[in-house]
Amino acid sequence: MTREKQVEHYDVIVIGGGPAGLTAAIYAGRARLNTLLIEKALIGGLATYTNSIENYSGFPNGPKGEYITNEMKKQAEEMGVKFKLTAVKSVDFEGDEKIVETFRNKFIAKSVIIATGGRPRTTGAQNEDKFLFDKGISFCATCDAAANTGKHVLVIGSGDAAIEEGMFLTKFADKVSVSVIHDEGKMDCNEIAREAAMANPKMAFIWNTVVDSFEGEDMLERINLKNLKTKEIIPVETDSCFEFIGYLPNTEIFQEKVKMSGSQYIITNERMETNYPGVFACGDVREKWLKQVATAVGDGAIAGFAAEKYIAETEQFEEILMQNEKPGLIFVYNAIDPDSRKFLSVIDSYEKSKQGAIAVNRVDVYKSTGLADRLGVKNYPAVVITHEGRISSILYEGICEEGFCTATFDELFKKACKDCNK
Amino acid sequence: MKEVILDCFGEACPIPLVKAQNAIEELEIGDVLIVQIDHSCAMKNVPEWATKAGHNVEIEEVDDSEWEVIIEKAK
Ligand SMILES: Cc1cc2nc3c(=O)[nH]c(=O)nc-3n(C[C@H](O)[C@H](O)[C@H](O)COP(=O)(O)OP(=O)(O)OC[C@H]3O[C@@H](n4cnc5c(N)ncnc54)[C@H](O)[C@@H]3O)c2cc1C
Repeated sequence: MTREKQVEHYDVIVIGGGPAGLTAAIYAGRARLNTLLIEKALIGGLATYTNSIENYSGFPNGPKGEYITNEMKKQAEEMGVKFKLTAVKSVDFEGDEKIVETFRNKFIAKSVIIATGGRPRTTGAQNEDKFLFDKGISFCATCDAAANTGKHVLVIGSGDAAIEEGMFLTKFADKVSVSVIHDEGKMDCNEIAREAAMANPKMAFIWNTVVDSFEGEDMLERINLKNLKTKEIIPVETDSCFEFIGYLPNTEIFQEKVKMSGSQYIITNERMETNYPGVFACGDVREKWLKQVATAVGDGAIAGFAAEKYIAETEQFEEILMQNEKPGLIFVYNAIDPDSRKFLSVIDSYEKSKQGAIAVNRVDVYKSTGLADRLGVKNYPAVVITHEGRISSILYEGICEEGFCTATFDELFKKACKDCNK
Repeated sequence: MKEVILDCFGEACPIPLVKAQNAIEELEIGDVLIVQIDHSCAMKNVPEWATKAGHNVEIEEVDDSEWEVIIEKAK
């Protein structure tokens, strides 16, 4: 079945519709960029897996995660963001045109924002695969709690998600057992959650254990836990198990392209820039310390803003600096450096003397070195000579005694033209 | 190539997933199954199951909180 893929062009493509991607899209949309957000499942991401978010500022009373992300979605729609609900299958970031492919479409964008977040980690115990997808193992208490009314369920893990979601399950289930890898009394969650859980009569803890195997015919019937100290196998009779043992990054489609850490999280700087110019990453998919809605939103704001700046700079670079109507002179300087500034008047008088025959542009690197980087200029001040939209030479300090001198410029323009006639 | 519509409106997890798994069994490669859902929980597991099973998946949000998961059987 080889069907021609339909091609569509955008300014910005955001991959992933969790809090990070939605926020990036709000910023890009608000900057009037033609923005597409691609999400493979439910808009809202991992935040929709929880019944209550207590620590996202501005939303008191612990609303459902889905409530918060639905508000974000509404806001993105108001900013003109378009949505496509399908998985991104492959990407190509090599050229200036970034390519993002889904099963039916080929999307081409000036900038791409990666916000693919994470997915729940599984235990890797025997027979686990057999019971995924509603056969007994779940990663979302909010989704499946009601189906466990009056039952006994097992929670694996002791971090914030495990304990808080376990507490939520006690509203439905009669008994919630928790398999904890640590010694008695020790958990990975915050202290408030730990105390509340220990005091909850419906919660029971099975210390020093991990899952050894999942057992059952078609549906889950029993989980065999293993005590790490005594090696004893402890069978737990239940048809419902919730795993909260951390997350893995959704970065498979970027492997061997985008630079990642040893554990496959994307490495960015504080501007959310990846190793590809114009490709940004934000939210849980990044290598970072705290993975929460608040930090995902913060990252998303930076990435959306950075994409806007990148696109504006690209246009400035291509249409103004690399113009091909006239020979061009670009003065690259740092406005806070006095040495750099004093050449401005030399450039001004040279421009006047040429009476419009040469296109003169000034690039200040103080706020961003993006344009200087594209010109290949590493030290400032510098003069770049262009001819027919191409760089023909770069001059640094010390070319002549008084700094840049007009005779030198004339000489370079002559040379540039001779070169181009060859 | 045939197209089958599976109406799961009003049905909560795990029913849409179970119905979709059964329905796809009945189809040939290249056929399309359209699962209509309005419970967001099904939006987490139906697309993921279908993608993992190797099928091609695209979703339309037909109305506010109403989706059609379009699954093209590939295996
Ligand atoms: C049970 C639970 C409880 C939590 N509780 C809290 C809490 O109380 N407070 C808090 O601040 N945080 C909480 N979190 C964490 C919070 O949900 C995450 O930090 C946040 O959702 C990260 O946002 P994100 O946008 O970076 O990634 P995600 O939310 O993971 O979103 C990424 C999105 O990208 C999509 N995607 C991935 N690959 C592709 C692809 N190839 N093509 C298209 N789309 C793709 C995914 O489907 C997903 O929707 C909780 C998480 C869980 C699971």
